[in-house]
Amino acid sequence: MMDRYTKLQLVGIYAALAVFLTFILLPFFEMFMASLRPLEHLFRSPYQFWSDDFSLQAYKDMWVTVPLLGRYIFNSIFIATSVTVITMVFVVPAAYAYARLEFPFKNISLGIFLGVNMFTGAVLLIPLYRVLRTMGLLNTYWAMIVPGVAFLIPTGIWLLRSYLEKIPRELEEAAFVDGASRMYTLRRVVLPLAVPGLIVVSVAVFIGAYAQQFLFAITFNQTRELQPLPAGLFEFIGYQSVTWNEMMAAALVGVLPVMLIFLFLQKYLVAGLTAGAVKE
Amino acid sequence: MATLNLNAINKSFGSAKVLHDISLAIEDKEFVVFVGPSGCGKSTLLRIIAGLEESTSGSIHIGDEDVSDAAPVDRGISMVFQSYALYPHLSVYENIAFPLRVQKMPKDELEERVQRAAGILQLTEKLDLKPGQLSGGQRQRVAIGRSIVRNPKVFLFDEPLSNLDAALRGDMRVELSQLHRQLDATMVYVTHDQVEAMTMADRIVVLNGGKVEQFGTPMELYHHPATKFVAGFIGQPNMNFVPATVLETTGALTVELDGGHKMSLPVDTSGVRKGDTVEVGIRPEHVTLGDDGLDVTVNVLERLGGISITYGTIGNGTRFCASLSGDAPIHQGKNMRLTVAPEDCHVFQSNGNVLRRKSAPALVA
Repeated sequence: MMDRYTKLQLVGIYAALAVFLTFILLPFFEMFMASLRPLEHLFRSPYQFWSDDFSLQAYKDMWVTVPLLGRYIFNSIFIATSVTVITMVFVVPAAYAYARLEFPFKNISLGIFLGVNMFTGAVLLIPLYRVLRTMGLLNTYWAMIVPGVAFLIPTGIWLLRSYLEKIPRELEEAAFVDGASRMYTLRRVVLPLAVPGLIVVSVAVFIGAYAQQFLFAITFNQTRELQPLPAGLFEFIGYQSVTWNEMMAAALVGVLPVMLIFLFLQKYLVAGLTAGAVKE
Repeated sequence: MATLNLNAINKSFGSAKVLHDISLAIEDKEFVVFVGPSGCGKSTLLRIIAGLEESTSGSIHIGDEDVSDAAPVDRGISMVFQSYALYPHLSVYENIAFPLRVQKMPKDELEERVQRAAGILQLTEKLDLKPGQLSGGQRQRVAIGRSIVRNPKVFLFDEPLSNLDAALRGDMRVELSQLHRQLDATMVYVTHDQVEAMTMADRIVVLNGGKVEQFGTPMELYHHPATKFVAGFIGQPNMNFVPATVLETTGALTVELDGGHKMSLPVDTSGVRKGDTVEVGIRPEHVTLGDDGLDVTVNVLERLGGISITYGTIGNGTRFCASLSGDAPIHQGKNMRLTVAPEDCHVFQSNGNVLRRKSAPALVA
């Protein structure tokens, strides 16, 4: 057995896990605590971890303070979903081609895709702005969808390609011998077998799209009705005061759908990300 | 008519040449087995026939048609893969129906063809299951079912039994032979197992290093191996090769075997001279216990009941295996004397070519 640890090692492992998880989860926890308190109690000194003034009032008030909040949450999900769908339309054939076909500059172009991933969107904001302006896409949903798709295609190709390579070649050869075309084989044999991989890539793309939309939204879109949640949260910052508790409540409600997706699909995610690493 | 003709097929992968000028004429309804050690090019040759691999040069004819550049499906072939290559997400029914679905065959005809194939292969009860729920032998049958629904002219099998356990392999061998008779089709079968080759084939192609060593019926290969390689490959246990020196070439070939035993062998002596070194091939099953003859030291004795197999040495450590009767009075570590009839011996020159035997046993058709 490789995974047999001494008591001391176990203590060390759990201690490290605890530190790590605290670091990651404490902000979320504090967000939650802040969302439960009345605004005037937030800046109490000394800091009170537990108090008896918890209420869900902020979760009601936030819809009044920012009337478009529902729209923002919808926009967030709509943009992320659109990005995911469009990205997958491009990624599936591309990943299949990279997994199975031989063509000139295959490895170089794959390398370039990886290289593109090294740039954050921020570096390319000004060129992107000009492109979108030329195409007349500023202040539309497309302004947030198109750059999102462009930045997520490389990741998608890399993830899905390694998954498709794991599907035995003989299955496709058998279909080929029986007269099936590439597209027929892809549709009837490869994609049904790649469903777990497709789920993994879709989830990864969705999360990526959800996370990156803020940058594109505040740069390329001025229309309030089209803003996604991260940009919409700015409206909790008023001229006089910032309603932190409501902002935290809104942020949590906005993150909820993504968290739910994660919870339901995590077993695919873990299996998919490590799949193909070892020969089975 | 589904004859299969290969003309001067060559294949290179980069600078590595894997097939050298392979020409074969396979008759209609013949069951031909390609056999050889791993890496001899037999699977590559099959894939070239299937159209999965392109030959570097040469042409392929099926019937009267040149199919060298045709897509697999237009060649009228179907193939059974080593790993079965069943579609795990489809039912047995859909797996067998797959080639027909590709053709967009009308429902009634498709149903009828699938049911007929399932009937032949005793899969009627299993049609609703997924391949994962089947045993190895059943999966193999599904793969065969998928290959027969299209009524191809030539069936290609790529080591189809190598994933099965020994007992099942024996059963499937018999089933495949029956299937061949039932379908009355041309079949090409690749294996590394000489028992499969001997038992199923009408004719065997022995491949070695990308070249055809010999193409003949199993009994031809057994009694008249053209080269030392074929002689060593066909027959179980393997033939013994005893180094010998030529003493006399007039009439019969008189040789002195390693260990000093002299024999006069009825073979064609043209091309050999006195003093040449040759190898005498003796099959383990052709020796009998005697009072004189080869002096063999028995190192290991395996009693299998019906027969006893001994592994030993003669002369200067030349290994010698003998297959004797089950109750032969022999002991491990002791010496024994073995006699062999001169007409049962094969003689190979140093280049591996055989000296033709003059007194050959009649060939069993």
